Amino acid sequence: MTQQIPLTWFLYFAAASFAIGLMGVLMRRNAIGVLMAIEIMLNAANVNFIAFWRYGTPSASEGPLTGVMMALFVVTIAAAEVAVGVGLILLCYRRWRSADVEEFDGLSG
Amino acid sequence: MIQALFIALSGFGLLMALGTVFARNLVHAGLYLVAFFFVVACQFVLLEAEFMAAIQVLIYIGAVAVLLMFGIMLTRNIQGDDTTIVTKQWRLLGLGAFGSVLVVLILGINSHEPWTQLAVRPEFPVDATTKTERGRAILSMTPTVGREMMTRYVVPFELAGLLLTAALVGAVVLAQYDNADEAEALAESAKPSATQS
Amino acid sequence: MSPTDFFAQLELTPLLAQRMYYDQVNLWLWFRWVLYLFGGFFGVFPLIVAYMVLAERKLAARFQDRIGPNRVGPFGLLQPFADFIKLIIKECILPIGANSFVHLLAPMLTLISAFLVLAVIPFGIGLAPVDLPSGLLYMVSVSSISAMSIFLAGWSSRNKFSLLGAMRGVAQLVSYEIPQVMSILPVILWAGSLSLVSIVQTQQYDQGWFLFSPPGMLGCMILLITSIAEVNRAPFDLPEAESEIIAGFHTEYSGMRFGLFFLGEYLNVFAVCCLITTLFLGGGSLPFQGYFAGEAQHMLAAPFDASTQSVLKLNANHEFPANPGTGFRIKVTNIQGVSQTFQVANRVGNDLVLMANRPLPFQAGVNSQVTASARQDYTGPWHFSNLIMIPVFMAKVFFLVFVMFWIRATLPRVRVDRLMSFAWKTMVPLAIANIFLSAIWFEIVVRPAGGFQERIIGWVVTGPLTVLTVWFVFRLNRNSYKSNDPDRRPTLISRTGESLLATSNQGR
Repeated sequence: MTQQIPLTWFLYFAAASFAIGLMGVLMRRNAIGVLMAIEIMLNAANVNFIAFWRYGTPSASEGPLTGVMMALFVVTIAAAEVAVGVGLILLCYRRWRSADVEEFDGLSG
Repeated sequence: MIQALFIALSGFGLLMALGTVFARNLVHAGLYLVAFFFVVACQFVLLEAEFMAAIQVLIYIGAVAVLLMFGIMLTRNIQGDDTTIVTKQWRLLGLGAFGSVLVVLILGINSHEPWTQLAVRPEFPVDATTKTERGRAILSMTPTVGREMMTRYVVPFELAGLLLTAALVGAVVLAQYDNADEAEALAESAKPSATQS
Repeated sequence: MSPTDFFAQLELTPLLAQRMYYDQVNLWLWFRWVLYLFGGFFGVFPLIVAYMVLAERKLAARFQDRIGPNRVGPFGLLQPFADFIKLIIKECILPIGANSFVHLLAPMLTLISAFLVLAVIPFGIGLAPVDLPSGLLYMVSVSSISAMSIFLAGWSSRNKFSLLGAMRGVAQLVSYEIPQVMSILPVILWAGSLSLVSIVQTQQYDQGWFLFSPPGMLGCMILLITSIAEVNRAPFDLPEAESEIIAGFHTEYSGMRFGLFFLGEYLNVFAVCCLITTLFLGGGSLPFQGYFAGEAQHMLAAPFDASTQSVLKLNANHEFPANPGTGFRIKVTNIQGVSQTFQVANRVGNDLVLMANRPLPFQAGVNSQVTASARQDYTGPWHFSNLIMIPVFMAKVFFLVFVMFWIRATLPRVRVDRLMSFAWKTMVPLAIANIFLSAIWFEIVVRPAGGFQERIIGWVVTGPLTVLTVWFVFRLNRNSYKSNDPDRRPTLISRTGESLLATSNQGR
């Protein structure tokens, strides 16, 4: 039943959401908003990984779950990134009294 | 039928992604983000990776989104309604980047022959007597993921564990008040606003 | 294959393998699903919740030397319906400035997550609405949605106290979710599966209840405590501490919207009790059922690879029942001592046709010795065994519900900082240590498919270790339980800007 969806559709979806995420990273002023946009981009990458895994035929040396494993590691890293990111934003907020990325312009603590 | 479902789902997901980027209210943006995560989980189900869908809901909706909401609350945007005012050059740059990346990606996808011809994914027999390793991996993904983690991907797995530990410690260190002095300083800074009101 | 065989086979088949039957039994499956949805989720579960509320009020009254509701109907038995009518005809008040859509969405999310959790609980044989291959993972992930709903409820009300309650609630839920999931890991290790149906069957036919081992007892205790925290009940009901923050995240909810929160909370209580019953108390099985089941050793006549074959060839003269029913299971142990349990679908001479289950990575090489032991269980139709299993299951669930009411009526509410330190300093280390202990139990008892003697050895080895672990963790945390140490209090800032920390230091 689900065989009828061509691979490129998933790729289009992933490409579009990646572009939207990139736009969000560039346009959002609030640091938390930037983090959210980064999450969108990571999710787009994950869709690509799973789609290529499902549609491709892996070589014998690769193992049966290459794309899924990559996506799992991406998820892990995204979780770590959000935890540290929110911590950093809190620190910046304490330093500058604002969560606006435009105001984070000092290099020394 | 399934194609219409896919198109509707993807359209909804992209709308939600746009909402995340353009919502003025940050908590609304977070809600749109949750909807987008959910759509991605549905895409995983369509790709027959139910395990990944469960992981997506667990980690992204259950942990990442909640953590982001917490971040919004702790940066004093108590009702979340505030700065999405974007300066003009950033808006232009963002739209430009969006358009160019989208065009390049779609052109790239369309021009790669092996991808455009992959209209139908490889079948696997839904049967106990399935022969292929792939079919087995899809049907019983959780044990296969466990075995792969402990054999082929053991080094990345350990590294990910190390990374998570480092992130845990790092987040605690970053978010902690260093000592009582800083708490006192915070109390000091709270003073003028209290006297004003 | 005759139709009865076919349906009997379908009953115990996991969802993914059921897919291949879809073309043949579409109507029957749809009928069952409609039955589940309307009978279970709109009828039975809300009714159970209604009477749980009544039971809690009655019990709490008894604990406090009162009588409790006794006006509506005999012994107050119609009280839930009176409450329901009251809730449904009350006005839903939406505060000015509240976000109306999110305000409505939040209670619905609570209810949805509670119902989704109940969708994988096996209430009896063939009575799990869905048997997902990774059901436990699914359950953990859908129950994590409730944190989101509490946050949204608090945020959308535009009320300081709601928001405070929501912040507390989300911090508590996120913290207690970690030891909760970790305390489940021993079960996964012992059962070798994430499917709740296989977990129950492992306890019923192979290993007995998981509770009857020292790591299992510790895991069950951790799961019980963290579950109470997960469903926001006393003594962990900080999100709705009425003496501090009015009613927490549902301060601004009234009428049926509050009713949905109420329903969701009690449904969550019911769901976590079902979960504990399934994971540690053996579902609908009677105690010690797995220990005394009959066993017969047989040799395989041909090598066997479970991932490609579904027919097991046995040597002659085995004493299996002439007509194995659906309860008939066979355990195959290969030369490495790795064992796997299979369900038997049919039998042709000396060949056992295994159930069209999900493929297992189990094999024995050519000419290697393989021992098969079979346990005969109840071999009649599954409908009759459900007549025993469902009441047993419900009895266990309601005992756990009673324990929760008992705890609620007995213990005072904990302080907010000690709540968090209890999660991170006591529950998480205990859960991590419990994984190691359960691995020891696995090596001694589960992997060699041990009998009575191995169980004794396992108790002797892991019992003292478990006691020692608990003592050690509590000993290390001794200081954090002392209440009046000012350095351990949360940093408080008064409205005038003075740090309360400083004044308390002077006081000392």
